[in-house]
Amino acid sequence: MDASFKLEDFCASIENIVAISNSLMDGWTLHKKEGVENGKYITKKYSTSLTTSDANDIVVTFEYHIAYHLSYGVPVLCFRVWKQDGSLLSIEEYWALNENLKGSSMYDTLTQLDHPVLCQPFLTLHPCRTQEIIQPFLQHSKNPVISWLSVVGPFVDLTLPDQYLKLC
Amino acid sequence: MCEKKVEELTYVQLSTSINPSFWNKFTEIKLEVDKLGEIEHHIWGYYNVIPQKHGINLLEVDSTSFNEKFNGQNMYIPFHGKLINKNTIEQFKESNKTDLINDEGKSLMEKIKNELVLQDPSVLNNFFILSFADLKKYHYYYWFAFPVPRGLVVTKVASNLITETFSENEIQILCSQFKELDNNLRSYFLVERIENGCKLHTLQNKIKNVTLQNKNQFYFTFCNIANTNIAVGSQLKNYITMILYYCPFLQGQIANFIAFTLSRRDDFSVTCDKSIIYELKLPSQEDYTWVGWEKNERDRMGPRLANMKNTLDPYMLAENSVDLNLKLMKWRVLPNINLEKIKETKCLLLGSGTLGCSVARTLLAWGVRTITFVDNSTVSFSNPVRQSLFTYLDSVQMKPKALAAAENLKMIFPGVKSQGVQLSIPMPGHTVGESLLEQTKENVAKLRELIDEHDIVFLLMDSRESRWLPTLLANYSHKITINAALGFDTYLVMRHGLRDAGDARSDPVNHREGFKCINGTELGCYFCNDVTAPGNSMKDRTLDQQCTVTRPGVSQIAGALAVELAISILQHKDGAKAPAFYKSPQITSIQDADSENECLLGIIPHSIRGFLSSFEHILPATEKYKHCIACSDMVLKEYSENGMDFLLKVFNSSKYLEDVTQLTEIFNDIDLEDVLEFSDEDFQ
Repeated sequence: MDASFKLEDFCASIENIVAISNSLMDGWTLHKKEGVENGKYITKKYSTSLTTSDANDIVVTFEYHIAYHLSYGVPVLCFRVWKQDGSLLSIEEYWALNENLKGSSMYDTLTQLDHPVLCQPFLTLHPCRTQEIIQPFLQHSKNPVISWLSVVGPFVDLTLPDQYLKLC
Repeated sequence: MCEKKVEELTYVQLSTSINPSFWNKFTEIKLEVDKLGEIEHHIWGYYNVIPQKHGINLLEVDSTSFNEKFNGQNMYIPFHGKLINKNTIEQFKESNKTDLINDEGKSLMEKIKNELVLQDPSVLNNFFILSFADLKKYHYYYWFAFPVPRGLVVTKVASNLITETFSENEIQILCSQFKELDNNLRSYFLVERIENGCKLHTLQNKIKNVTLQNKNQFYFTFCNIANTNIAVGSQLKNYITMILYYCPFLQGQIANFIAFTLSRRDDFSVTCDKSIIYELKLPSQEDYTWVGWEKNERDRMGPRLANMKNTLDPYMLAENSVDLNLKLMKWRVLPNINLEKIKETKCLLLGSGTLGCSVARTLLAWGVRTITFVDNSTVSFSNPVRQSLFTYLDSVQMKPKALAAAENLKMIFPGVKSQGVQLSIPMPGHTVGESLLEQTKENVAKLRELIDEHDIVFLLMDSRESRWLPTLLANYSHKITINAALGFDTYLVMRHGLRDAGDARSDPVNHREGFKCINGTELGCYFCNDVTAPGNSMKDRTLDQQCTVTRPGVSQIAGALAVELAISILQHKDGAKAPAFYKSPQITSIQDADSENECLLGIIPHSIRGFLSSFEHILPATEKYKHCIACSDMVLKEYSENGMDFLLKVFNSSKYLEDVTQLTEIFNDIDLEDVLEFSDEDFQ
């Protein structure tokens, strides 16, 4: 029988990520929304320059969130991208800019869903296949969230340095 | 790399980035706390000292910028800012930019002189935002400024990599001592060269010990916010201003500086070995004026505009989310679906009861934006439980149904253009007396106008005779017409044949053996079909007769089917002219016959008859009846020639229709019991 990834395991994993991040000055931050069962989630920002279809460079900031989805019982990677003036990129604008997703499956992979804790629309890697991806890590990885992120993160420009992976 | 050439330093100004949450918080404060007051707020700016992948490091403000205490993470250094918001665009434009920045500069000088700067050197990292918020439009005008003294000239005498002066071990010690500092002490500090290495000091502890004699053993260190190591952040000028205040003997002298720069090694660990040591010749102390307004995205000295409507306006969030849901259908399942066409289709709903409500909600879900309700009654106490757009309160207030439905639809989705029209539809056999004549004429004119303004007419009334006039008018105006009628546990949903505009006959459609195919232009209407009822052996009672006594699910099912049929028509290349098939009994699947003519959503039947008792559907298709009392050429001709006069004759006696359509003559040939029911008594 497949093992399940419990909320406690998730919390331990993300707290571990934040501890590593603090030692590396890598920027993962722990948040907690009071009164919500799955209220703990972590975020990280980074800024970069992207080239639009009309060859302009725009500076954007990504903010990644990793939260726990109660009904799927898996971690969710979602994020928002904004321009320097604070306006968010729509899912279509982001698609147009993201080379990694220019495959046929991009509409299945990345979608807009409500953040599991904040209940606001975020660009989200759909959690329906996460169970499948994370399953093999549940027994052997000390931190299944890191293992899972190392697989799916690169699709949306999120890469984890080796320091995290060493702990899996 | 050792340069001995004397030159000026290259300064860069910070790039700024606003987190959407900043505008959110700012709006909240403006609306709930400041209101009309022009209150200046202290705000924190965050600068990440760890270089990012593509060398883009930004000063960021977010919702926590308004917090009292700086609570950035360990890779941030604080910037002290101020938000100066103006209440009108005029005040924003007219405020004196020179005075503003000079005032901020003077206030910084105060902090230097009263030694606040020694406790918290990060005050040298100062900025302010001049803003005006048009909160109705979610437009934010803003202009960042980073005040620095104007005309402070520093000459670069020499520069070299820190590794040329300090050993690897010393650099590592420096880096770990840096990490131990509080965030606000990290921007500016002193490094002292001591006998067996080096030591990091806070300004407070050491700056007063620097003398002309010992100056060479000290390095004035600043966290460099330039993303490149050939330039320095403009805030260095503030640092030098402070140094000259506390060490006036350095005027005209050469002093050592470290542009402290963090970077990551290949193993991701943080180092400062890319830092640059400068020998700088300092100017003499003066009273400076201040400059430092940020250039906008067009590289001009001017404000920026953040249009946050799509990000913050809940109305837009609803609008975009509704569209996105449909786009996902397009992206994932039906790449060729024309959603724009659906969105632009204007729908007229005649009848705002169970069917009208169900149809409206399903149209809304499909992204239709223009929905007009017509009804002549008010919401009664029994309505809300069955009619999904009404509430108990609507019945207490006896609201007109059409208006209540239109209003409530907007409460569900404000992006819909819904309107309600209270109107009685004139009916055959309902004699129009003198007193009602004008009103009747007006009603006909209004109905005609409504039909002409819309693209699809839905017939969703609870009586049979009220469908006659709209059937005629919609047919006359070449409008797609969808009809839904309910029995106790049966329902009929159908499309009316769409008359060819040019009277040209469509090409016959090929059809396979065992199937009959009828061109969309040749399909019957509701009235034709009742005459030539399809071979359904079930009790052939008129569906409307027990209109209000129905199984509650029937109207939801029929309403949903009516919309799905309409949407399929919209997606077919021939629209309502698409042919319909019906099968002969020995063949099982209608899809087999119609595959060539289906649209991307599937086949387009002429009619759907459903029977809840057996949970079955059948899909009969029937031709126009040439003697039809509603859509036959004879009726259309009468209407086009005699208009209102003809209609009044029909309203006064439905028998007149039978004469026009020559039904009287052929009466003996067919069992026309159903047609004869077309009189009042049956509906009472």
